[in-house]
This record gives sequence, C-alpha cells and structure tokens, in this order.
Amino acid sequence: MEYFVQQFVNALAFGSEYALVALGLAVVFSIMGLVNFAHGEVIASACYCVFLAVAVGLSQPWLAILLALAAAGAASVLLERVAFRPVRNAPTTTGLLTAFGVSIILQNLFQLLISPRPQAVPVLNGLNATWHVGGFTVSSLQVMEFLAAALSIGALVLFLNRSTLGIAMRAAARDFSTVRLMGIRANRVIAMAFAISGVLAGVAAVFILARRGSVSPDMGFGLVMKAFVACVIGGFGSLSGAAVGGMLLGFIEVGLLVALPQEHGGLKEALTYVIVIAILVYRPEGLLGSRQELGDKEI
Amino acid sequence: MTTDALPATPSAASRWILRGLTGGIITALPVVAIGLYFIGFAPNYYQHLAAAALVNLIIVVGLQVFMGNSGVPQLGHSAFVGLGAYGLAILATPVALKKLSIPHAPFGLSQITLSPVIAIPISFVVVAVLALVSGRIISRLSGVAATIVSLAFLVIVHSVFLHWPELFKGNQAFFGIPKIFGLPAIIAGAVAAIVIARLFRESATGLQLRATADNLQAAEALALDSRALRRRAWLLSALICGAAGMLYAGFAGTISPKVFYFQQVFLTLAMLILGGMGTVTGAMLGTILLSFGLEAIRSVETGVSVLGIQMPAMLGLSGVALGVVIVLCMALRPQGISGRYELDEAIGALLRRNSRMDKAE
Repeated sequence: MEYFVQQFVNALAFGSEYALVALGLAVVFSIMGLVNFAHGEVIASACYCVFLAVAVGLSQPWLAILLALAAAGAASVLLERVAFRPVRNAPTTTGLLTAFGVSIILQNLFQLLISPRPQAVPVLNGLNATWHVGGFTVSSLQVMEFLAAALSIGALVLFLNRSTLGIAMRAAARDFSTVRLMGIRANRVIAMAFAISGVLAGVAAVFILARRGSVSPDMGFGLVMKAFVACVIGGFGSLSGAAVGGMLLGFIEVGLLVALPQEHGGLKEALTYVIVIAILVYRPEGLLGSRQELGDKEI
Repeated sequence: MTTDALPATPSAASRWILRGLTGGIITALPVVAIGLYFIGFAPNYYQHLAAAALVNLIIVVGLQVFMGNSGVPQLGHSAFVGLGAYGLAILATPVALKKLSIPHAPFGLSQITLSPVIAIPISFVVVAVLALVSGRIISRLSGVAATIVSLAFLVIVHSVFLHWPELFKGNQAFFGIPKIFGLPAIIAGAVAAIVIARLFRESATGLQLRATADNLQAAEALALDSRALRRRAWLLSALICGAAGMLYAGFAGTISPKVFYFQQVFLTLAMLILGGMGTVTGAMLGTILLSFGLEAIRSVETGVSVLGIQMPAMLGLSGVALGVVIVLCMALRPQGISGRYELDEAIGALLRRNSRMDKAE
C-alpha cells in the first residue's frame, strides 16, 4: 500500500511536470502554429540564470525561484522577438525548423560559454525533504510539484476565461485575423502567449533544479521531447489535451518503472514511446484533438 | 512547351525516366569530380573526411526523398542509418571477433558470419520491415504529429541499441566489422542514391506526393491517396539511409550508437535546409558546402580535428554554426540555395534564355 501510494504521488509529480511543459508548447502552438523546439532551452536558460546568480552569491531559495520564473518568461519573450517574429506568417515547417535551429544554437552556446559538463546548483536542494502524511512517507518535492502545477493551470484557466487578453488569446487560436479586426494587437497577444509559456516552463525549471541539483546544456531537450509527445497524445494545439497528455505520460512512465524488472529499466523510455505510438494508431488526431485537414472551414 | 507534345518524342512513361536519369547524372557530376580528386590527390586523412562527407550526402539524399517531396519534416532518419550499420555489423563481423564483443547474442547470431553479399540484402530487409511498420503509423498522422513521432522513433531505436547489449554491445563501440568498402564504393553509392532520388522525384508517385505537399485538400480531391504516397516515400528514404549506414560501417569498421543520434540529425538537417529541401540538387549542394565549411570551423575550433564530420560540436562552435545556418536559411531563404529548380533544369533554362537572346539579336 505504502509503495502504491508513493508511486501514485511519483506519477502525479512526473505528470504535472510534463503537463506544465506541454501546456507551454500548446499555448504557443494554438495561437501562432509554432512548434517550439526551443522551449527546452527556455527551461535551461532559467536554470543557468539561477546557476550564475548562485555563482555571484545568491543563497535565498525563494529568490532563486522568483529568478527562475522571471528568467524563463523573459527568455521566452526574447526568443519570440529575436528568432520567431521573422517567421511568424511562414508555413508550420519553417517555424518548426527555425525553432529546432534555435534549440541547437542555445544548447551549443551553453556548452561554449559555460561548460559541456553538468554544473552543480545546490540552492534549491532544501525543498526536497521527506514528509510523513497519515502514515505514508512521501517526497515533499513531488507533492509541491503537483500543487504548483495545479495552481498554475488553475491560474491559466482563470486568465483565459476572465481577462480580455485571455479571451483574445482563445479567440486568436481560432481565427487570428478576426481578433485583430476587433482592435487587439497581434504583437501583444503573441508576446503574452510566449510569456505564459515561459513562466510555465519556469515553474517546471524550479522543480527540475530542486530534484537534479545541477544544470547541463541538454537538460531541456529530452524533457521537451516528452512534452511534445504529451501534446501529440492529447491532440496537438489543444490546451486540455496537453494537460491530459502530460498526466497520462507520467502515469505510463511510472507504471513501466514499476512493472519492468530492474535489468530492463533502461528500456522505460523506449517502451513509453511505443505505448504512446500505439495509442496514436487508434486515434491519429490524439485523445482530445480534432481533425485539422478541414483547414479554414473548421468550426 | 508545345514541341514536347509532338509524336516524335518518346512516350510519357519513358520521358520521366529519361529526365530523372539525365538529371540525376548531371546532379551527381560535381560529387564524382570532387570524389575522384580526393582519391587521386588528397592524403589518406582527407580521404576519410571525404568518405564521411559522402556518407552524409547519402543520408541527406535519403532525408530529401521523404521530407522534400512530402513537405513533412522528418527528424528520425538516423534510426535507419543506425539499423543499416548495425545490421551489417552483426551479420558480417567474423565469429572470432564476435566472441569478444557479443558472445551472448540471441538467435545464434554470435555463431555465424555471413558474406557481405548475403548480409547486405538481409540488412536491407530488416530496414524495410521496420520502415513499413513505422511508415504505416507516420503516414496516418498530420504534419506536426508525424514529425514528433519520427523523433520518438529515433529515441526508441537508439534506446534499444543502448539497452540490448547482448546484440548491440550497448554504449561501447562495435568493432571488427570487415572493411569491405573504400572511397570508390562510397562514391558509387552516392551517385546511385542521387539518381534514385531524382528518379523518384520525377516518377508519378513523386509528382503526386509533391502535389499533396503543395495543397493536401486539392490533391485528395483529385483522388490522390496521400497516406499511400507518404508510405512509399518513407520506405525509399529508409532504404537509402540504411544503405548509408551499411557503407559507413563497411568503411569505418567501428560504429557506436551515439554516431546515429541527434548530432547526425542536426548535421544532415542543416545540410538539406541550406541546399534546399525541395530538390536533390539542394541536398547535394548543402552537403558539399557545409562539409567544407564545418571543416574550416573545426580547424578554428580545436586546431586538431578528430575523425571528421561524424562528431561535430566538441566545444560547441560548429554546433552554433549549424544552428545559425538553419535559422538564417529559414528567415531569409526558406527554400534553400537551389530553390525550386534542379541543377539540370536551371542549366536548361539558362541555355534556352541565351538562345532566345541570340535569336533576338
């Protein structure tokens, strides 16, 4: 029972992390059709900012958290301004490949300017404690990660449903030109999408840092790959699909971790993807997706 | 254009074959010239670099067959390169060496050594089977999802290479593969790949696939089966990439899983994008330019280069250069250097214009 509860919390934590990153991807994709491969490097940038701040003397964990959130938001908005604005109206393929290129550049810049090897960032290690809740032993980090993800998603839903800009963003996902005809600035909507996407990545970055205690140039790429897969199972571009897909991916992974014997543990990632692809055989458009081939006539 | 319709010209069926063959041979000429120069005049070390660059060229051509004609970005092609290379390695390595490296291989594979003449077709069959299975799934997905799943396919294959050490030797290098291919064989392979890719582009399947890339709804309204077309291109692309892997394994004699992973994907993708993914000429141009360019950067980066093209970005500078090439191409010239025209088409257009101007004078 104890083991079961621990693994359940474990799955919730993994799922929330994937959901956070996948939501960041989906927010941007739904509005401007950009497949943002550089999202993982937004996470890495936030972590490197914390690393540099620690190197010059930052020691307060809550300051480090704030810094990570701000840095991720800023990095995301900056990338949009510098790299993605020139290809804003280009076909999806162009945007996808641009983002892929940006991701390669940033990964190599981290290698070139800082170090190819992982660097220790111990400032958030204090978040990782063991809690005893009602007779069960759980990791504080995992509980906090789930709560933080739930809070962020709740805030995002409120924002999208109540604020003018949020409603404009939802409308922009359907038909951007009409939104612009209503007097909403395109740049503002898109910058906001990137800021939200960045801050969600920042939340994920905080927990990654606390768990790993180190930064490395390619730390974001593997994660963003999984988040993409989460988006694909959920249905690409659907926000609820991204959250559901992320959670599902977390549960599949932890389920495999439990089910696989120790010596085949390395195959966890491969089997996760195999299961996901098997889901796509039955629902090629994803669990909550709609068929995109209808083009402009989609209602 | 009206002259094409005269009865004296060959029938439509043989015309595309003729166009593909001549076009492919013209496109392959620069490759042959550079290759022969390296065989004749370059020291041994540079021959290794040239071989690695030509293997990359075959991979880029394989990538172009699917990505260029279908318009769906594909990032998992290195999986097939790795499968081809490991297929040849496992089947053709002498038993004595296998006793050292993979003594517990399943299916009795450690007890047999096949001659390359048999090992190569079997490896192609393995690649083809996996391509048929993955192609069925990928062709069903819409653009973006197909890209992500192709990447997931690469991760799956790489993960199996790493975590099935009885067969693939895990993270360590697989050594002792018979060095059956020299630079001439690789040049021949590159020429064959270019001609095949060009023939595919001109064929009915290639033309129809390009139509689905231009406008999927319109193409499907004309009763083109985009899934079947994508499946065929995926299979051909996989076979060409698998051939590149076999040539690499048979040339280098040693392979390891990390060769067939993201570094190779980045490199070959940047080459194709720079040259222009719509044409085989683009694949050729991009590979030649980036191979020379990266070698120059690498001499700046380290002073000493290690084995060449296959492992860039030791310190990150060449990686940054690859990324910059991709981003700048996408922002300034998304169709790449070659644009919409193959080399022979561009030459033909130039000649026609000149002769028109002569007549005008």
